[in-house]
Amino acid sequence: MNSLGLVLALLGAALAALMAGIGSAIGVGMAGEAAAGVVTEDPNKFGKVLLLQLLPGTQGIYGLLVAVLTLIQIGILGGAANVSFGQGLLYLVACLPMAFVGLWSAIRQARAAVAGISTVAKRPDQMGKAMIFPAMVETYAILALLVSVLSILNIPRINI
Amino acid sequence: MAVLAMKKVNICALKKDRKSILETLQRIGIVEVSNLDFEQKFFCKIDTMNMRSVFEKNSLIAKEALEIIEKYAPEEASFFSGVCVPKEISKKEYYSFANGIDKTMPVANEIVNLYRSINDKNTKINQINKQVELLIDWEKLDVPMNFASTKRTKAFIGTLPQNLDDLSLRELLSELLPDEDRYDLKILNKNDNQIFVFVLCHISVAEKIFEALRTLGFAWPIYITDEIPKIKINSFLEQINELEEQVKFDIEKIKSFKVKRNAIKFIADYYDIRSQKYEIISKLLHTKNVFLLSGFVPEKYAKKLELFLLSKFNIMIEFDDPGKEDEIPVVLQNNGFSSPVEGVLESYSLPGKGDVDPTSVMAIFYYFLFGMMLSDAAYGLIIVAACSFVLLKYKNLKWGLKKALKMFLFCGISTAFWGFLFGSFFGDAIEVISTTFFNKPIIFPALWFVPLNEPMRMLAFSFGVGLAHIFTGLFLQLYELVRDKKFSYAFYDVVSWYFLIGGLVVYMLSVPMITEMLVTNFILPQFVGEIGLSFAGIGALLILFTAGRESKNPFKRFLKGVYGLYGVTGYLSDVLSYSRLLALGLATGVIAQVFNKMGTMAGNGPFGLILFLIVFLVGHTMNIAINLLGAYVHTNRLQFVEFFGKFYEGGGRKFSPFFANTKYYKIKEDICDE
Repeated sequence: MNSLGLVLALLGAALAALMAGIGSAIGVGMAGEAAAGVVTEDPNKFGKVLLLQLLPGTQGIYGLLVAVLTLIQIGILGGAANVSFGQGLLYLVACLPMAFVGLWSAIRQARAAVAGISTVAKRPDQMGKAMIFPAMVETYAILALLVSVLSILNIPRINI
Repeated sequence: MAVLAMKKVNICALKKDRKSILETLQRIGIVEVSNLDFEQKFFCKIDTMNMRSVFEKNSLIAKEALEIIEKYAPEEASFFSGVCVPKEISKKEYYSFANGIDKTMPVANEIVNLYRSINDKNTKINQINKQVELLIDWEKLDVPMNFASTKRTKAFIGTLPQNLDDLSLRELLSELLPDEDRYDLKILNKNDNQIFVFVLCHISVAEKIFEALRTLGFAWPIYITDEIPKIKINSFLEQINELEEQVKFDIEKIKSFKVKRNAIKFIADYYDIRSQKYEIISKLLHTKNVFLLSGFVPEKYAKKLELFLLSKFNIMIEFDDPGKEDEIPVVLQNNGFSSPVEGVLESYSLPGKGDVDPTSVMAIFYYFLFGMMLSDAAYGLIIVAACSFVLLKYKNLKWGLKKALKMFLFCGISTAFWGFLFGSFFGDAIEVISTTFFNKPIIFPALWFVPLNEPMRMLAFSFGVGLAHIFTGLFLQLYELVRDKKFSYAFYDVVSWYFLIGGLVVYMLSVPMITEMLVTNFILPQFVGEIGLSFAGIGALLILFTAGRESKNPFKRFLKGVYGLYGVTGYLSDVLSYSRLLALGLATGVIAQVFNKMGTMAGNGPFGLILFLIVFLVGHTMNIAINLLGAYVHTNRLQFVEFFGKFYEGGGRKFSPFFANTKYYKIKEDICDE
């Protein structure tokens, strides 16, 4: 029974890294295509569009963060791996916000970033604003990250 | 902390002085010229489009010539030369250069022409090379390629699509042509999929032979010349050689022009300046003998400008306060601490009419929030070191870049500050290194607390910072309203919110459940909470009854009041938005920890040390880059959305003075000691 808890917790960690990572990979890819298009017209905009391309990349990092925190907490990265079934389930649930919101917000953020890239292509002076639109979407990834992290950090205190 | 006050300036002068007056104004670069456009029968405008296109064309030729020289004789340039301000030259140097224009312009033209002819010759060389490639397979043929027949014989020159040796080909042919020997076959050459043959036969059997060859897949050559291939090839090669010599000669000639590089740079600038000047001329009003110029000048330069111009020219100059209908251009002026964030403000919008310049207030919060998000002592120190290195080494960087670097310098200081408070130095690198390689854990002490261990405390602190930020924004709104003497607005729209939000916060701090959740020992006595709650109630009532004060209809008014009160959810989400301070801070710290951990996976042997160094360098570089971007974007967001949303309108137009916008040289004019 003991090992099942560990499996569930690890599943949670894997899901967080997996889904948020997939989202970011799709997102950065989409934005990259748009950015490459702009660079063919005007290579000088490389720096600007690169920044915009990177914006949807943060979800993958948040996913990694949640996954690693979980791994540390359940003792897979050194220490004794001792997780009860109930706690394992809690870890799994705690990872879900980051997993799902990470996947979806990265893709949506990428669409905003692509639109921002086309803004910068036509009006490079509007860079500041073009960056803010994708950043708005990221807020929700951050909120999900927060819920996941706060849950994971507090699960050891719960005794089930 | 200010938007510079502007004066309207009108100048009326004689047309014969126009050139020198405009050139002077252009060099001083403090006057923005407006497009005069009122219907007057005495005045007319001049269309300068044609002149400008000539100037622009010349400038483009000069720039192209420079690129060509750069291609063949690159100038030694440091990495930062492209972002430095142009070199300064004096007015005297400018005019002496300008006199030499007639001599240097032909040089620029010649360089461009030489380059075109080099390109043409290279294309030709390529074409000839292709022909040579086609001919080289026929090199062994000792008759001209179009040789077809003599009186008694007929010749077939062509290819067969097989890879056969001499013997088997002859066998194949003799099978097809039994009892026939009035022909001769010679294999000239072969490659992987073709043999090149020369067949000579008696004229009487020509058709038969040709039939046989056709069955074997005979084809005529693609390229036929009326000369013997070898001779033709040689003449081609000679042509190529000659062309290559010419190209070399042309390149040397271009290289020899590199001494003229500075003069050509000057041409590019010179024509840019003239084109800009003619653009201004098209904005002026002219009569037969005088012209009229109108524009804006910062008030603090007005007197100087007047004295300077009057001392040189015979003109009429007057200053005026801008009227209500004028769209006054904006220049910000701030001290060294806050001016670096002007760029961020500009990327949102410059202050519009009635806006205060929020730069100095914003700067404090900007550095503060940025530091909290990155919050690593080592990263902060690295940023400080990098920015100050560039700033000290390259003193004449372009203005915008210099500002950005200064901004990151201050942000770096703040990052280091928060890093020490939160006990983060490359994440937990010190602990990891000392444990792995020295077997003696040394913990980098947090001067305040470690957010990863006490996330709720950090969250509460983030919300506190957010409240302070939002309240400051509200305060600026209050300031604007009081300044404009709209006291009732100030009371209804700002003070009421202070009551409501402030009261609610005080009340919440007295509720045990909430303080427990935030893990603080701090709790307000109950009666203070009740006072807070009553203030919140007063605030809520104020909003309910005043938010709809513009509507006459009482029912509509009430509904608008309710809607106004609903705005409290906006404040809630604004405050919650500051939770990103915690999230991004954790992101930096945890990712750094992940890299440190990965680095130590190979233990503490020599191999482990190498792995650690590599992972450490690559990992932390990546972490800095990504989190720097994150901190920058999200600090901007907090400023733009949560802070500016409370008071800032924006929409100001940037002051764009008439000045010599040049690429290579800057002409000094000694009026303003800026």
